[in-house]
Amino acid sequence: MQEFSYTIKDPKGIHARPAGIIVKKLREFSSAAVVIKGDDIVDLSKIMPFIGMDIAKGDKIIVRTEGPDEKECAEALKAAFRENL
Amino acid sequence: MALDYRKCAQEIVDHIGGRDNVAQAAHCATRLRLVIKDNSKVDKDYLDNVEGVKGMFESNGQLQLIIGTGTVNKVYDEFLDITGMTAATKDDVKAAAAEQQPLWKKLLKPIGDVFVPILPAIVASGLMMGLVEALGKALPGFAGSDWYGFLDMVANAAFVFLPGIVAISAARVFGGNIFLGAVIGLLMIHPGLINAWTVADYVAANGALPTWKIFVFPVAQTGYQGHVIPVMIAVFLMCQIEKWLHKHVPEMLDLFITPLTTVLLTSYITFTIIGPIFSQLETWVLAGAKVLVRNPIGACAMGAIYPWTVVMGLHHMYNVIEAGMLAESGLNTWMPIASAANFAQFGACLAVGLKAVSNKTKAIAIPSSMSAALGITEPAIFGVNMRFFKPFIAGMIGGAVGSIFGALTGIGASAYGVTGIPGYLTINNPLLYTVLLAISGGIAFVLANIMWHEEGQPAPAAKKEAGAPDAVALSTETGIVKAPVNGKIIAAKDIPDPVFAQETMGPSVGIEPTEGIVYAPFDGEVVMVFPTKHAVGLKADSGIELLIHVGVDTVNMNGEGFEAFVAAGDKIKAGDKLLSFDRKTIAKAGHPDTVIVAITNGYDYQDVKRAA
Repeated sequence: MQEFSYTIKDPKGIHARPAGIIVKKLREFSSAAVVIKGDDIVDLSKIMPFIGMDIAKGDKIIVRTEGPDEKECAEALKAAFRENL
Repeated sequence: MALDYRKCAQEIVDHIGGRDNVAQAAHCATRLRLVIKDNSKVDKDYLDNVEGVKGMFESNGQLQLIIGTGTVNKVYDEFLDITGMTAATKDDVKAAAAEQQPLWKKLLKPIGDVFVPILPAIVASGLMMGLVEALGKALPGFAGSDWYGFLDMVANAAFVFLPGIVAISAARVFGGNIFLGAVIGLLMIHPGLINAWTVADYVAANGALPTWKIFVFPVAQTGYQGHVIPVMIAVFLMCQIEKWLHKHVPEMLDLFITPLTTVLLTSYITFTIIGPIFSQLETWVLAGAKVLVRNPIGACAMGAIYPWTVVMGLHHMYNVIEAGMLAESGLNTWMPIASAANFAQFGACLAVGLKAVSNKTKAIAIPSSMSAALGITEPAIFGVNMRFFKPFIAGMIGGAVGSIFGALTGIGASAYGVTGIPGYLTINNPLLYTVLLAISGGIAFVLANIMWHEEGQPAPAAKKEAGAPDAVALSTETGIVKAPVNGKIIAAKDIPDPVFAQETMGPSVGIEPTEGIVYAPFDGEVVMVFPTKHAVGLKADSGIELLIHVGVDTVNMNGEGFEAFVAAGDKIKAGDKLLSFDRKTIAKAGHPDTVIVAITNGYDYQDVKRAA
C-alpha cells in the first residue's frame, strides 16, 4: 500500500472538473485507490461520492493506493492533485 | 416500547447547541432536517446514540437526523415545542442552507423578525390614528370633543409605547427574557424622562436638558418615544449580556444576579453610549435637513433619505424645522417633502399588497398602506417595505421625485403635524399637492411593482417554461437519460472544454441550452447539489449515476445566477425542476453555458448510447 496526503489549494475545493481528471487518471492504473477525509473514506474510482465529500480549500486529505502498480499510481495521482487542486 | 418523543427531541436540542444554534428546522418522511449555525456546537457522537435517532449525516449545510416514518413528525412537533420555533417548510430549510446573503440583508432581517409579530398591534392603530387626527383637523370642534380624546388615546397607545412593544419582540428574536426586554423598552420611555417629542419645546423653555452624571458619563434625561432602532440595539445588547451571565453565574445566584446586572448594565450603556450616538445623529440630521430643504436638489435628497430617518426614529425632530419655517415665513415647505416621502411608501406598500400572492402578505400590506396614506408610515415601512427592501427603494425614489416637484412649485402648508391625505387640510395649493402625491405615490407604486415579486412567486422570465424535453440524451442497457435541458444536443467532443470533451466524467453529451432550467432526466434520487448550485449529481432508479454540469468553469460564479429546487436525498420524477440558471449572467461572467450530461458510473455498462 502507498499513501500520501495533500492539502487542497483550489479556492473552490474539489469540484466536478478536477475530480473528473483525477478519477480518469486512476483508470490508467490497475491499482485501487481510496480518498480519506476525517472519518470519510471513498473509493476514488467513483466520481460522484468523491465530489460528494464536499472537500474544501485547506482540507487535508489522504489518498491510499493498492495494487500491482500502486507506487506509480500514487505518484501520478499526487501529480494530478498538485496540478488541478 | 414506544419512543418517548419529548425526550428524544429534548436530547437532540441539548446536543446541537440549543435553540440558538438552529437556524431552521423541518422534516421529510424520515429525517429531521436542521440548519445549524455553528457546527462545532453539535455533539455528533452523542446524537448518534440518542434513542430514536437511527443515523445522522450532514449534507448541503443541513444536519439530517434519520428518525423514521411516522415518528419523525412527532419528534419534530416536540422539537418545535421545546425550541419555540415555528414550522419551516422543506423549502425554507433549503433556502436557509443556501443562504449566502449580503450584509445589508442580514442586517435587515432582524428588523422584519421583530416587526412582523407586532404588526397586529400597530397596523390598525396607525390607520385609526391617521383617521382620528385627520378628522380632528377637518371637523371644527371635533379635536376638543370627548370622542376625540378617547379615540385618539386608544389609537395612539401602541405608538406612544412602541419602544416597549418593540423591546419585547426584540428580546424574543434575540433570545433573551422577554420581561427583561420589556423593562429595557419601558425604561427608555419612562415618564420620569423628558418625552422625546417635547424635547425641543423643553429646550426652548429651559435652555438645556437636565443630565445626571454617573461615573464619567452624563446621562441625558430624555426618553426614546418614537424610536425603534436604538431600542432594538439596546435589547440586542441586553440579550448578549443576559446569555453571557446565564452561562457564567452559578445557578444559585442566577435569578438574582443575572437580571439585575443585565438591566443595570444595559441601561447604563444605552443611556451613555447608544443614546448620545443617536442624539448626535439627530442633531446632524436636523442641521443637514435645514440646509437641504433650501434648494430643490437638496429637497430631492431629503425626500429619498426621509424614510431612513423614520427607520432610525429621527423624524420626530422635524416639527422643529416646520415650526421654525412657520415662524419665519408663515409657510411650511417641509410638509410637501415629508408628504412625498410618506405617500411614496404608501404607493410601494400598496403595490406589494396588490401584487402579493400570499394572503398573509396581502393582509399586512393593504391596511399598512392605508395607514401610510394618512401619514402614519411605520407599519408600511417596518412591516412591509423595509422587510422586502425593494419596495423601500421604490419608495425612496418616488419620495425624491415628489420632493423635487414640491420644492420647484414652492407649495407649503399653514400648519404642521399631518402629511399624506390629511395634508389637504393645511396645504396652500390642493391642486399642485394632488400632483405631488400622484407623482411620488405613482412612481413608487410602479417601481415597486416592477422590482418586487414575492419570494417563491416565479419571476416573469421563468414563466415561459417550455416543459421538460422528451429527447433521450444517453441510454444504457438498464435505462435511459432524457435531455435535462431544452436545447440542441451536441457530441461530447464539441463541448468547449478539453476536460469535458474527453468524457473525463464518463460517457457524455453536451446540450446548448435554449432555456435556463434543468429538469430531472429520469425517476430517481438527488445524490448531491453542489454548494454553488451549478451542478447536480443524480442516481436513477435504474442504477445510472448522472452528473449534470451547467456551463464550463461556472464553479467560479459561486452560485450567482443559479438556483436549486432540490436537495440531496430528495426523490425526483422525470420532468421535475432541479435547477435554474440565468443564461445572461453566465454569458456576462464570460463562460459557455453548454450543459454537460455525464454518466459517472459508465464503466458499469457495456453499451452506452449517446444521442450525438
